[in-house]
Amino acid sequence: MNNWFKQIGLTLVLMFSAIGLAQAGSSQGAEQPVATDGQIWSQLKAGATGVTTSHGEFHNQPINTYDLRVLELRSDLLAPALTAALFGMIIIFVLFIKVNGISKLHGGFSGKLVYRWSKFDVSIHWLGAIPCLLLILTGLTLLAGRFFFQPYIGEGLWAGFVYAAKQVHDFMAIPFMLGWALMTTLWAKNQLPKMYDLKWMMVVGGYINFGPFKGKHPDAGFANAGEKLWFWAFAVFGLVISASGMLLLFPNLFEPSRTLSLIALVLHSVSAIIITAFSIVHIFMATVMSEGGMECMVSGYCDETWASQHHNLWFDEIKENGTLKYKD
Amino acid sequence: MATMKFLCDTKRCIECNGCVTACKNENDSALEWGIQRRRVVTINDGQPGEASISVACMHCTDAPCQAVCPANCFYKTEDGLTLHNKDTCIGCGYCLYACPFGAPQFPKKGAFGSRGKMDKCTFCAGGPEENHSDAERQKYGSNRIAEGKLPMCAELCATKSLLAGDAEIISSIYRERVAYRGSKNAIWG
Ligand code: HEM
Ligand code: SF4
Ligand code: SF4
Ligand code: SF4
Repeated sequence: MNNWFKQIGLTLVLMFSAIGLAQAGSSQGAEQPVATDGQIWSQLKAGATGVTTSHGEFHNQPINTYDLRVLELRSDLLAPALTAALFGMIIIFVLFIKVNGISKLHGGFSGKLVYRWSKFDVSIHWLGAIPCLLLILTGLTLLAGRFFFQPYIGEGLWAGFVYAAKQVHDFMAIPFMLGWALMTTLWAKNQLPKMYDLKWMMVVGGYINFGPFKGKHPDAGFANAGEKLWFWAFAVFGLVISASGMLLLFPNLFEPSRTLSLIALVLHSVSAIIITAFSIVHIFMATVMSEGGMECMVSGYCDETWASQHHNLWFDEIKENGTLKYKD
Repeated sequence: MATMKFLCDTKRCIECNGCVTACKNENDSALEWGIQRRRVVTINDGQPGEASISVACMHCTDAPCQAVCPANCFYKTEDGLTLHNKDTCIGCGYCLYACPFGAPQFPKKGAFGSRGKMDKCTFCAGGPEENHSDAERQKYGSNRIAEGKLPMCAELCATKSLLAGDAEIISSIYRERVAYRGSKNAIWG
């Protein structure tokens, strides 16, 4: 860390007079107002801008200073964290399922399918989800690929790979944001926290098959507490990741400063870590952990047993108010 | 080996833009329209305290551009120069955000994130291609270092404000200058 400052400092010092020379000009400078080297140096270091014939981006400012720690934050902390959020979470989950087993439907599938999501809901889910997966993989390549991937492949292959990652990331951003906006606005009303969500959390949703948690079936409405947590994390960090991504994707439109762009990169990566970790849990829950769960986002219907086991309050409610609809 | 650096003596720079022109001419084969590797910036223009300084890539020792590049384009030469490989560059612009000197430049201005291949000052040392090959000339411009010569911009500086070369040597030249300018109590570093 200190090294960073020292090296950059050295470069800067070489570029101008050293600070120790600050007095050099001032001894004769009494009759005309000449800036001393020290004054010029401190103005430049403070980010002074001037006139130049160049039309290059940011070329009117000789030095842009910022906290160089963002570079290490990104390479030493965020890059390994995103790698861990993806691969680490997968490993943890596989081990967890090996030890704990999955959540089976008691009494098996009833064969009666209950209407849960509209066709439109299912489509906006995949509109967001497929790009999200691609964004995670390509984003990981951009942030950490040079550390965990590049050393093992040839130069040409790496160049093609990282270029493809950037292109896919740039284009997938658009459907992702559309899906994000539709899901967060249209689904929010079913995701408001309720008192029984606390109890759900206390027993980890009844998914733990040993110890004091075994065999518990906490109450849950249309969405359970875990799903609600995921929904709001996705809403908030989806917003952060979209806003910071827009700055990076359309610099010509928003004209962010260089420092703002670096801050956007950091916020983008932090949100990516959170969204990735949640996504892995979400995917595992839907595909393997909760038997019968995947059907909801395939046909929009769920098995009746699944509905009463995992979303009892919702199931009771639709039975009562007559909105219960079976697939014919 | 030497550690190559630039130094610009602001007391001598007269804002003639000779270095800019020299660079343009020397590296023309590699410079797409609008790209300028070196520029002269004048602060306090027309006011007391006016000063001009010539800026290009400073070939930082622990280069921020190198730290931040997702494609890992950058490499250090044995002369301590920071060069890059245009074939690997994806045009993301991170290096421009991270560079304290605004050295990296792009042929296009970021419409939908595509900026084209980054270009910056090579210290007139070409790139990863074979020395003096066509590919090197097309992508990176001249390679004077391989011929045992110093950068064109500094060589053509009329007032010898812009110095390029081994850090030790150019700083001793500068130190000498300051001593002549008559500051007895000047302390280096
Ligand atoms: C699930 C959603 C997303 C994830 C997980 C994700 C992840 C990432 C990661 C990890 C990086 C690398 C950051 C770094 O190198 O420091 C990145 C870069 C980037 N992201 Fe995203 N991102 C997502 C969505 C978006 C969206 C919605 C946009 C656009 C609005 C976007 C635009 C960008 C851009 C422009 C870059 C810079 C690299 C480039 O030019 O391609 N991302 N993303
Ligand atoms: S491009 Fe900028 S950060 Fe990289 S070596 Fe040159 S001056 Fe330093
Ligand atoms: S623009 Fe090119 S050189 Fe600069 S950080 Fe991106 S890939 Fe690296
Ligand atoms: S060293 Fe060469 S490439 Fe760099 S600014 Fe000078 S003339 Fe241009």
